[in-house]
Amino acid sequence: MTLILDKVSLDIDHHPILEEISFKQPLGQSLVVLGNSGAGKSKLLEVVAGLRRHQRGKISHAGRDLGPLSPQERRIGFVFQDYALFPHMTAAANILFGLQARRAPASEQGKWLKAVAAELKIDHLLQRFPGELSGGQQQRVALARCLVLRPEVLLLDEPLSALDAASRERLALLMKKIQQKYRVTMLYVTHDHNEARYMGDQVLVLDQGKVVQMGEPEEIFARPVSRFVAHFTATRNILPGRIRERCHDGLARLEFAGGELMAGSFPVSGDEVWVCLRPEHLSLAAGSEAKSRCSAETFSAERPWVNFISGYRIAQIIPQSGGTVLLELINRGERLLVFASNRRLEEQGLCLNVEVELKVGAQHVHCLLRQPDDIYCRPEQAVRISRNA
Amino acid sequence: MKISGFSTLTTLLVLAAGLFFSAPFAALLHSFVSADALLKLFERQVLLVIATSLLTASLATGLAAVVGTVLGYHFTIRKRGGGRWLKTFFSLPLVLPPSAAGYMLLLAFGRYGLLGAPLYQAFSLQIMFSTAALVIAQFFVITPLMMQAASSAFQQVPQSLVQASHSLGADEWTTFFKVLLPLSRPVLVAGVITAFARAIGEFGATMMVAGRLKTIPIMIYTKAMGGDAGVADGLSLLLVLLSFCVLLLVNLLGDRGR
Repeated sequence: MTLILDKVSLDIDHHPILEEISFKQPLGQSLVVLGNSGAGKSKLLEVVAGLRRHQRGKISHAGRDLGPLSPQERRIGFVFQDYALFPHMTAAANILFGLQARRAPASEQGKWLKAVAAELKIDHLLQRFPGELSGGQQQRVALARCLVLRPEVLLLDEPLSALDAASRERLALLMKKIQQKYRVTMLYVTHDHNEARYMGDQVLVLDQGKVVQMGEPEEIFARPVSRFVAHFTATRNILPGRIRERCHDGLARLEFAGGELMAGSFPVSGDEVWVCLRPEHLSLAAGSEAKSRCSAETFSAERPWVNFISGYRIAQIIPQSGGTVLLELINRGERLLVFASNRRLEEQGLCLNVEVELKVGAQHVHCLLRQPDDIYCRPEQAVRISRNA
Repeated sequence: MKISGFSTLTTLLVLAAGLFFSAPFAALLHSFVSADALLKLFERQVLLVIATSLLTASLATGLAAVVGTVLGYHFTIRKRGGGRWLKTFFSLPLVLPPSAAGYMLLLAFGRYGLLGAPLYQAFSLQIMFSTAALVIAQFFVITPLMMQAASSAFQQVPQSLVQASHSLGADEWTTFFKVLLPLSRPVLVAGVITAFARAIGEFGATMMVAGRLKTIPIMIYTKAMGGDAGVADGLSLLLVLLSFCVLLLVNLLGDRGR
C-alpha cells in the first residue's frame, strides 16, 4: 500500500511547475511537503489527487497506476487550504456529499456520519451552514468530509494556515491522532517548519518545483543540504567558517569567529564553509564553564565535544512565549541568535551590551560547502539570493 | 463651503442628462393619457400580439437559458482549447446590428436558404415568417447574453469547490447540478430575466423574419407609422413598465447574490 511518485513532472503553459518529483510513502506514514509560496506544493497535491494531469512520470498506489484514473476513482481525500466547504449545504450535507456521490447505501450514511462527527467532536455543528462556523470548526467539517469516505491517502493543503495559534495547536494534535488511528497515508503541505517537524514522519523540501532534500525531520533540521534548506528550517545562524583539519574521530576543526570550533557534520571536500548553528542548540554557559574565547574541549571519552564561544554582546532581547527570550548577539558585525530562559537571564544578571559565553555540542555544528561566489548575508536575505540564483 | 467649478459643471450636466432622459418618458405618459390608450390595450388584435410576444419570448428564453448555460459552462469551467475564439464567435450577435442578424437568419433558414432549402425540399417545412421564426430570431439575439451571464456566474464559484466535489467522488453531472448550479442561481436567474426582457423587446431581427406576424415592438412601429398613437402608447408603456420591473428584479437578485 505504498504511494510512489516516480519522476513526476508538471508543466503549465510550457513552464515547468514540478520537475522529476520522486518519493515512496509507505502506508500510514505522513510526508510533509515544506516550501515557499510558489514552490509547487499545492500543485503536487493536485497532481496526486488527479485534479491536474502531469505530463511525465508515474504515480502509483498499492501497485495500481493512478495516471489514467479520474479523481473520483482514486480514493484520495483532499482537505483544501480554504476548506472548500459547499456554502449552500449544512455541515451534515457537506459530510454526506461524497457518500451520496459514491452511492453509499442510505442506511449506512447516517451511521458513518454519526461516527465521524463523534470522532471530530462536531455533533452539535451538523445542522449549521459553513458561514456559521469558525475557522477551526470548518476545518473539522472538511476533515470529516474526507474521513467519512475512508480514504487510503489523505492530502492536506496548508490546513492550519488560516487559524489562530490556539486552534492550530489543537487541530494539529487531532490530525496526528487521526492519522495514526486510521493508518492513513498523509501528504501534508505547509510552509511552517514547526508544523513540518511535528506532523511529518518524513519531510520533503520543495524549491521551485524541485526536491532539494528529503528525509526524517530531525535529519533535515540538523543537517540541511543547502543554505536554502537551512534557512527554511529555521537555522537562523549561518556564518562563514573554514575547515582547518578533518579529524579521525568524525569531527572537523574549524576556524570560526576568530577562534576554533569542532563540527560534527561537514562536507568531505572543500574548506570554505557556512557554519549552521540552530538557536535552540546554543545555550548560555555559566561563568565557570567558559574556558577561553572560541575554544573546544572534550569532557570525557563518552561525552561529545562541547564548543565554547565568547566575544558576543547582547544587542537585543526579544520576548518569546513560554518564559523564553530570543537574544540577538553581535560580535564584530556578525550576528548570532540564541534562545534563553527568562530565569537564566535573571540568574546571570544579563542585560543589553553584556558579553556572554555560549556553548554548543559539536554534534549540533553543521557545515555546508561555501561556493566561491556565495555572498555572506543575513539568513533572511539568503533565501532571496538562493532563489534568484 | 466653496463650490468648485468642476462640481458645478457636473451638476449641470447631470441636470441636463436628467431632462433629456425624462423627456421621452414624460411625452409617452402625456400621450398615453390624452389618447385614452389603456382601453386600446384590451382590443383583440392587441391582446393577440401581446400573447404572441409573451409566448415567443418565453420559448426563446427557455432555449437560450439551457444553451447559454451550457456554453458558459463549456468556456468557463471546462476551458477547452480555442475557447477565446469560439466565445468571441458566439458573442457576435450581441454587437451585430439586429437587422443584419435578421437578414443572416433569412439567408440561412429562408425557403431558398442554406438550411431552409433542404428542409423545405425534404419536409415542405418553411421556418421563416412563422412563429418559429420569431423564436429563432429572439433565441439568436439573446443566447450570447445568457452565455455571458452564465460565464460570470460560474467564474464566481471558487475553483476549489469544483475540485472538492470531484475529489469527493462526484462526476461532472453531480458537480454541475449540486454545486455549480445552486451557487450560481442568483446570477443565472438575473441572466434569464434580462434575456427575457431583451427577447420581448427585440425588433430588428424579428422584423426581418416575421412576415405578417407581429410582436409588441413591431406593432408599436407599424401603429406609430400608421398614425394610431393609442395602441403605440399603450404597448410602449407596457414595455417601459416591464423593463423597469426587470431591472429592479435583477438589482434585487444581484444584492442577494452578494
